Amino acid sequence: MLFNSIDFAIFLPLVFVLYWFVCKKHLRLQNVLIVMASYVFYGWWDWRFLSLILFSTLVDYSVGLYLHKTTTEGRRKALLWTSIGVNIGLLGFFKYYNFFVDNFVTAFSFFGASIQPNTLNIILPVGISFYTFQTLSYTIDVYRNKLEPTRDMVAFAAFVSFFPQLVAGPIERATNLLPQFYKRRRFHYSKAVDGLRQILWGLFKKVVIADNCAQFADLIFDNYTAYSGSTLLLGAVFFAFQIYGDFSGYSDIAIGTARLFGFDLKQNFAFPYFSRDIAEFWRRWHISLSTWFRDYVYIPLGGSRVSKALKVRNVLIIFLVSGFWHGANWTFIVWGLLNALYFLPLLLTNSNRSHTNVVAEHRILPSLMEFGAMGLTFMMSVLAWVFFRAETITEAFGYLIGLFNISLLKIPEIRPTYLLVLLMFFLTIEWLGRSRAYAIEVLGLQKPRFLRWGFYFLIIFLMGLFMKTNETPFIYFQF
Amino acid sequence: MGQFLKNIVLFTMLCLFGYVPVICLWGEIASQDLKTNVSFNIGGVGHLFTRLQEVKTTENVDVLVLGTSLAYRGFDPRVFESHQLRLFNLGSSAQTPLQTEILLHRYLDRLHPRIVIFEVNPFYLSNDGVESSLDFFANDKNDFASIRSAFIINNVKTYNALIYGVYKDITAFKLGFKEPTNKKDDTYISHGFVEKALSYNRNQSSGAISWTFERYQLAAFHNSLRMLKEKGISYVLVQAPISKARYANIINKEVFDTKMTNLGTYYNFNELMQLNDGLHFYDSHHLNQNGVAAFNNYLIKTLFLDYRIK
Repeated sequence: MLFNSIDFAIFLPLVFVLYWFVCKKHLRLQNVLIVMASYVFYGWWDWRFLSLILFSTLVDYSVGLYLHKTTTEGRRKALLWTSIGVNIGLLGFFKYYNFFVDNFVTAFSFFGASIQPNTLNIILPVGISFYTFQTLSYTIDVYRNKLEPTRDMVAFAAFVSFFPQLVAGPIERATNLLPQFYKRRRFHYSKAVDGLRQILWGLFKKVVIADNCAQFADLIFDNYTAYSGSTLLLGAVFFAFQIYGDFSGYSDIAIGTARLFGFDLKQNFAFPYFSRDIAEFWRRWHISLSTWFRDYVYIPLGGSRVSKALKVRNVLIIFLVSGFWHGANWTFIVWGLLNALYFLPLLLTNSNRSHTNVVAEHRILPSLMEFGAMGLTFMMSVLAWVFFRAETITEAFGYLIGLFNISLLKIPEIRPTYLLVLLMFFLTIEWLGRSRAYAIEVLGLQKPRFLRWGFYFLIIFLMGLFMKTNETPFIYFQF
Repeated sequence: MGQFLKNIVLFTMLCLFGYVPVICLWGEIASQDLKTNVSFNIGGVGHLFTRLQEVKTTENVDVLVLGTSLAYRGFDPRVFESHQLRLFNLGSSAQTPLQTEILLHRYLDRLHPRIVIFEVNPFYLSNDGVESSLDFFANDKNDFASIRSAFIINNVKTYNALIYGVYKDITAFKLGFKEPTNKKDDTYISHGFVEKALSYNRNQSSGAISWTFERYQLAAFHNSLRMLKEKGISYVLVQAPISKARYANIINKEVFDTKMTNLGTYYNFNELMQLNDGLHFYDSHHLNQNGVAAFNNYLIKTLFLDYRIK
């Protein structure tokens, strides 16, 4: 079920009413309702996928309990690796099987050996990369004694399948989300209104910004040989806003929806395009995934408290794995590698934490220096996005070659004025709200009602005017 | 919770009431590139406005044709007239069964045809109906049937076009509109036909063309057929010829043929006639005037033999 669909527009109020009116006084009943609603939400794509999520839930629930009972280190390790094996195994099979088979065959054919590939027609279950990582975090935290294993099967199933963030994050930690299922939730007016406000902003990002950018990004990327360098640059910029609007829009809707039910999810995006260097960008982009890799891969490898050579190795591993997590294609791996190459000079010169505050804090406008740094960081990310968007490495290089030539100085062949105006509006609102959890959160604070409602109406009106007319899936569902 | 629900209801009501005038205002003041979702294409492609003005002054025909651009560019009343058959062509661009049903409700009793020809093709029954709804809201009167169709199509463009179309009805804008008979290469011919200046198809075939039945379009189509049966009016389902290259690329043709055969007397002229892709078409799916003459004469001969409608 898509957030930007009529199905969800009916589903959400229905679950909301049942949750707060029918199940209000029974915590367990509320949790059961969340599990049922989440399974309906997920099964809407394909009911067969439910077996996977159920299996993953049962395995990690059982592993968690056994980990608690077992004191022998060897057994505890075996249990941990069982969970890792099952979850990564599922992910590997559904997402990477054909990739490995194809590359295996290509590698052998390079040496003259001919192998008949045995690829399978596998459907990638929606959001498998997200919920497998979420359940893994539970097992690892129990193993590390950071978390008491739960005996409440319903709460655990609700944690794994919680529908607002099930298919595209934020990837929640059990330490943050699971305890919220144990406590009685009370309806708070301000929290619910805040949730609705964030949903509205998320929808705007998705259906107006991302979908309109997608139209032109697709047009340009699909015919990149026909356009000048300036148009290709514009296409890459449109894709940068498409993926940001799409993914951060999803996160906003997810967080807002969770707030409607009394839950607090982690912030997943913190205005990454206002970053002054790539290190800051990666602290602000897809935060839940970056911190997951930091806590469960980077730090166990030694993090940055090792020799320079090992630091380089660790950074390369983390970015390559992060790239590969996004998809079974070399383009994602190169995207990860490129970001690692952007990041390494900052790490090696100990300047990767130069910008931990909000840019131009307590000021309306940035300084020229800040503006330049943001522009440079944005353009670096735009170039990296070319690899993310391209179907193949060859296409990505072809695109970049087409971009960097004299035609970069020409007037672009495609100039959607309305979209540029929309992007200016969007960036202005994001800039003004950059110190908040989401851009229009500030509206909830002491602003007169006519101003708040007037702005909400403006957003709805803009959606009515500019939203694309079909329900387009979110990009990150494929990951 | 009470306050929350009260505010939700209040805001929703304000939005609904506020949205309508703002859309009308936007339709009036915004430049065309800012009106992608507020369409009002009166007198657009296909001369629908003129056709609908004419049908309001026409009564008792022998043959009524309904369908897509393949209908209003493919069934020439002059050819039928030469066989002493009075035809009115109520085809329109990208028409779908939803619009066909509305047209039958509005004009069937007035036209009182002896036979209705439904120009059918896989896209007629698989299209979401958005494009055609925009055409109708701008070029015909808007009533309860328009609102019903907008809710079935359920698309923001359709809702906006309906709001703006109703506003134009209220302000009597359509009354003062005069559509030119000639537009570029198109000439409107009395009784609903649009003649294209003679040209020849140079298009190459593209890739496979897939389609699937749209459930609500099938339901609307059944409604139309039921209406005709209740009124005792005969009908035939006709798949008009398109270029061989395009026809070959359409997948699951047999599924469509089987479905149509089950719904009534069905003729697929892609299988019955041998036309030349270059000589009889002006693009991959529209007949040029040579093709129209050949097709219409063949069709009339077939209908005469099978139906004795004269």
